[in-house]
Amino acid sequence: MFLRFAGAYVTFVTIESGSQYYRTMNDPSPVDGSVDVARPPGQRLKLFGSAGLFLASLVGAWFFHLMDMQSVAPMDVWVRMVHGLVSLAGAAGLWYAVSELLSGSGAPAPSRVFWRLIVAGAVCLGVAGPIASWGLPVSLPDSMPIDAYLGFDIQSGKPLAAAVAVKMMLVAICQVVFVVILLESLSQLVLVKRTATSQRNWVIMLFLMAITSASTMANPPGDPLSTLQVVGFIIAGVFMLVNAFRLSWIVFLSFRRRLFVLALSLGLGVLMLLGMSGPGGTGSSVIVTGSFAYLQHYSYPLATFTSAGWIFGVMYCFTSFLSLLFHLPTAGDYEQRVGERATMHSLAHLVGQVFDSGGLARTIAAAPVEAGSASCSWLATPDPRSGSLTPVIVGTHGITVDRINELVDTEAFFEDASHIRQPIVVNNGALDRRMKVRTGDEIGSLLVVPLMARGEVLGALFAAKVVSRGFERDDIETVGIFAAQAAVAMDNARLFEQQIEKERLSRELAIAREVQMRLLPQSVPQISGVSMAASSVSAQEVGGDYYDFVRLADNRLGIIIADVSGKGTSAAFYMAEMQGIFHSVSRLATSPIDFLSHANTAISHSLDRNVFVSAIYGILDTDNESFTVARAGHCPMAFIRLSSDASYVRSPGLGLGLDRGDLFRRSLTEETIRLQPGDVFVLYTDGVVESRSMAGEEYGYERLLEVLTEHRHEDADELHASILRNLRHFLGGTPYDDDMTLLVMKWHGLPVNRLAESAFIAEESS
Amino acid sequence: MRPVHPNDGLPVGTAQSLYPNISMSDFSVGFRSTGEVRILDLKGELDAHTASELEAAIQKCQSDQAVQIIVNGANLVYISSAGLGVFMAYIEEVREKGGDIKIAALQPKVFNVFDLLGFPMLFDITDSEDEAVSRFSAATS
Repeated sequence: MFLRFAGAYVTFVTIESGSQYYRTMNDPSPVDGSVDVARPPGQRLKLFGSAGLFLASLVGAWFFHLMDMQSVAPMDVWVRMVHGLVSLAGAAGLWYAVSELLSGSGAPAPSRVFWRLIVAGAVCLGVAGPIASWGLPVSLPDSMPIDAYLGFDIQSGKPLAAAVAVKMMLVAICQVVFVVILLESLSQLVLVKRTATSQRNWVIMLFLMAITSASTMANPPGDPLSTLQVVGFIIAGVFMLVNAFRLSWIVFLSFRRRLFVLALSLGLGVLMLLGMSGPGGTGSSVIVTGSFAYLQHYSYPLATFTSAGWIFGVMYCFTSFLSLLFHLPTAGDYEQRVGERATMHSLAHLVGQVFDSGGLARTIAAAPVEAGSASCSWLATPDPRSGSLTPVIVGTHGITVDRINELVDTEAFFEDASHIRQPIVVNNGALDRRMKVRTGDEIGSLLVVPLMARGEVLGALFAAKVVSRGFERDDIETVGIFAAQAAVAMDNARLFEQQIEKERLSRELAIAREVQMRLLPQSVPQISGVSMAASSVSAQEVGGDYYDFVRLADNRLGIIIADVSGKGTSAAFYMAEMQGIFHSVSRLATSPIDFLSHANTAISHSLDRNVFVSAIYGILDTDNESFTVARAGHCPMAFIRLSSDASYVRSPGLGLGLDRGDLFRRSLTEETIRLQPGDVFVLYTDGVVESRSMAGEEYGYERLLEVLTEHRHEDADELHASILRNLRHFLGGTPYDDDMTLLVMKWHGLPVNRLAESAFIAEESS
Repeated sequence: MRPVHPNDGLPVGTAQSLYPNISMSDFSVGFRSTGEVRILDLKGELDAHTASELEAAIQKCQSDQAVQIIVNGANLVYISSAGLGVFMAYIEEVREKGGDIKIAALQPKVFNVFDLLGFPMLFDITDSEDEAVSRFSAATS
């Protein structure tokens, strides 16, 4: 019962101290404080069964030793063997119980294992020590074998008194309990990051220890091991050595943790050395007098097994201590790896930051510092607002932009990094011409990694360390990986922005289109004697074609068609300007030439040198029944009358904006056509005649005249539709490549009452 | 170096994507020299998409200090208003330096486009390249 209690106490103490330790060290692994709270009933039964087996073996041992004491002759070999088997079986039961009590979820922290073993060792040796030396003199002279002092018969090895047998059992069991806890706890460490081989090695070691121990069942206490048994132990020792080097758990410890476990392993090692029976068969340890002698008298196989376990424990403490000592300097590496992994994780979330380019830049800039690869870092990208290639610092970590600009020529590094497309490492900042640092500044060495996505350099990630030669190969690789990730995230963000920009642009263009459509007349003017039809389409959302009408007087109508060179937005702006000029100048101008000259002066100021406007301006006078036109570089007006063939009215004239001086005015000539009923005028832009069919053939001037001739009897609306139909038919499926405007005007002649009226006026005036 | 007018380029992603069947590169400029005179052989279609190639060619002449330029249009099959704009953009500069841009050997249809706008009033347009060359030599001698 005492042992049960002791075991439970040890478990309790270790859990308490362990969890306390966790709180102070802030370990990320979960606190495992509930080792045996919820245990299924079946397991509980096994636990009690195995504990019962152990207790039964104790009772059996007690009877064996009592019998041994009573009999004069030594016990029979088979009885000793049965006793050995029973004690081994009891130890196995104890093992099972201990392993059940110690098994938690997952591998325990190494510090906790060592602490548990120190406490268990202190308790077991603390109990065994006083019991063993109770009733013995303080110092034992060397003249007698130790068995004699301890109260055993030197010849037969029997205990001479019942008290000796009790002492023997208690001291032995304390040691056995400790070794069982020791092996079970160390197995948790040995099997960290286990492989099939490591697990096999552990099992083989235990098996060899058990087999060799079992083979000593027939050995009388005090006898040395046979040669075969020694060989068995040596083989077991080899496996002990192999298992003692299973120290993978060290890798996962931080520096402070390693220091702590180092101290614990040293403490445990010293404790075990103090409790280990001395060499040369003295049978005593420093703490426990006659520790081995008692064990051997209690059960030879248990004594050998316990000694072997003890030796393995000392070995493991030794290798742990040395390994921890040697791996102390590499603790930073592991911490860096943890940082890197955390940073990688946060980089994976960069994708979510496409909406927030500022936040994205800050996250990327902070990555090298957070990964532990740099002391400060920043990110430079070509200026997204100005669109220039000059880099700007968009995110910093651990340093201010002003300070960076004082110390480092970011632009030069950016240029170099974009040029060579490889990371640049500056080992000594003081020696680099692109840096202005002195010893003691924040930047001793610098790493510049270009961010590249789809073959384009999107930016550069700068990482700096205070020391010179601060960047090792793995730092460069780490920052390189971040840079690659960051580049993808930035590329995504950029594409996203571009998409938004594109949508915004298309909305803007749609609005521009609506505005432009309102600049064109919404309907043709209704004038008696004239029918008109007009239409205009743009190749793009907006275009440079323009047509319009203005009533100059009751009987006079100004008509314009104009085509700004080029297409798209810029053409549309000039078209809008033409509209303004038309409405302001046309009322003041006395003639088409006058209008075009004023318009040329007005628009030339704003036209770029390679842009010009072609136009035809005409004044329809219904009273005089005349149509006066002037052409400024525009496609000639097509004209047909009932009595003659279709032709083009091609008066000379420069385009608007081609000459800003007198030449323009001089180039113009006016043509006045006396109207006859049935006269048709077709004004159009080059988009009509230059439209091309699938085969690449131009619609051309001839075809326009042909269709005009064919449909000369139709009124303006029908004629307009006929021309467009013919054009569409000619084009087949090809879309319009140019802005296209078509205006048809037909003179039907004055109505009879107007004729009478004008005749009356003429009569009156004469 | 004057900036390229936005008229010469197209708004991003509109014309190209809307009209994929328009060939973009059906234009080339060849360089020749006869004495001081630089001759640019135009081939194909000169429009808003290809105007920048002619611009680059004229700019190259300017950077070579060649101001006597003949544009041979024998193989030019089409010119748009944006293409005409290129001539307007450089003529003033070239003339200020004492040179000229003469246009030679245009096909009738292409000449018609020049003629409609009144270019013959502004430019020396000749029937053949030789004629243009001889006018240059007449002017310099």
